[in-house]
Amino acid sequence: MVVNIKGDEPPETSTVVNVETGGLTRRFRRAHAVAGVDLRIGPGVFGLLGPNGAGKTTLLRVLATVLPPTSGSMRLLGRTPADQAGRREIRRRLGYLPQTLGYYANFTVFEFVEYFALLKEVPADRAQKAVARAIERVRLDDRARAKLRTLSGGMLRRVGIAQAIVNDPELLLLDEPTAGLDPEQRVEFRSLLREIGERSTVIVSTHLVEDIGAACARVALMLDGRIVFEGTPGELTSRGTGFEIGDAPLERGYAAVLAKARA
Amino acid sequence: MHDHASDPARGLDCTACRRDLETTPIDVDLSGIWTGVMSQVWAGRPGRTELVARRVLRSAGLARALVTTPSLLLSWLVASVVVLAAGVVVSLSIDTPLIPLLAPGLAGAGIAYAYGPGTDPAYEIARTMPISDRMVLLVRALAVFGLNALLGIVASVAAPMAGGVALAWLVPMTAVSALALAAATVSGSANVGVTLGLAGWCIAVLGGRITGGHMDTAASSQQLVLPYLIFAACCVGIVLRASRFPNHRRQRWS
Repeated sequence: MVVNIKGDEPPETSTVVNVETGGLTRRFRRAHAVAGVDLRIGPGVFGLLGPNGAGKTTLLRVLATVLPPTSGSMRLLGRTPADQAGRREIRRRLGYLPQTLGYYANFTVFEFVEYFALLKEVPADRAQKAVARAIERVRLDDRARAKLRTLSGGMLRRVGIAQAIVNDPELLLLDEPTAGLDPEQRVEFRSLLREIGERSTVIVSTHLVEDIGAACARVALMLDGRIVFEGTPGELTSRGTGFEIGDAPLERGYAAVLAKARA
Repeated sequence: MHDHASDPARGLDCTACRRDLETTPIDVDLSGIWTGVMSQVWAGRPGRTELVARRVLRSAGLARALVTTPSLLLSWLVASVVVLAAGVVVSLSIDTPLIPLLAPGLAGAGIAYAYGPGTDPAYEIARTMPISDRMVLLVRALAVFGLNALLGIVASVAAPMAGGVALAWLVPMTAVSALALAAATVSGSANVGVTLGLAGWCIAVLGGRITGGHMDTAASSQQLVLPYLIFAACCVGIVLRASRFPNHRRQRWS
């Protein structure tokens, strides 16, 4: 959301929508992994919560253009991915971290991130500097020349994040990005998310409600392929008032919305 | 950084360079300069093959994708050379041409392992790249086929048949490679591609032995050239259909 104020005129609000879906579905045989999702998301960090099997990963894969939807409409960064030119333009401005990061064990951190910088068509003369910057942003400077097979799970997760942000994406899709990160790294990562979210759209799928509370401006809760709640973390918290399940206010809100949706 | 611009790592130890950094005006983006220096320290130089590929393909990304092809790695090439060398030795000792039988099978296996889920570890991320995975598949498959054809030709020259060097096996090699590629692409499994490619080739060889009386009938018969080419074209059509996006009529964008 961008708000422009010109002198004494009332605030003029122009909304940038980077993700727009209508009735989006994705079916695997008879199972509806995504069952009619309507979203309008602008710049900022958007959290996607939900229990296992809710459809979060499938929704992210569709938004990442890995999977085509079974039906429904979708516009990303103002383009439709249905045609090849639109898809290519979207992918140039997209960053994606899948739930499971596949990697080349013999590549160094730098080589791995550089590989995707080149595949994302970052110009060759700028690619190396972009790679170094991405590696610095995820605090892997001291391991830039280390082989990937020598890294811990948390470090590999940060390598995955580095490849996702190497092209300064306008749409960043992260599936369980904090899995394997220690508490200190998670705090740093949330700070990175907020920084990227100042000008880009970041969609984070996670199980950890504290990540949502700390980093996200808006949050959606998925259940059985549908969005059953969308609002701010504060609004989600308020749904948990008087609900007893959950240790933290946001957890109680999460549990309360899920219980109501299931009922 | 004086004459250390080409070697930033040395520049970091150079007194003059460090003094320059200390006296640099504060409005200079030191962080950006540092990142630039570190990028040169960390980056490796692309190999000759990759540099040539960049020129030919006119894409640095596609060139990097090509040189990371699993079935073009050194270990795979060594294995292919060993198999063909053994084929040459045995062919010479028993006076029976084995290279026309081995080369198509090797090429089929190599192509099945060129690209795809389960073969390429970063396949999921690669599918979100502006350089389409179909283009990566095409470039890798052509490179693997070309290299295997070259190795097979060298082996054929080393073990010529009675009538001289015959290269008729290049046609069945095309068909076996196309079958392996189609099976791997449709099933999403390199193992399925190899299995079907080799099984198809074994059936063709045994069928040729029964009908033609020779082990190499399937590799050398002129009558089979057209059927092989039609079969290969059908397989390529299947690959193109399976690798398009969206890949199913019901999966539509609107």
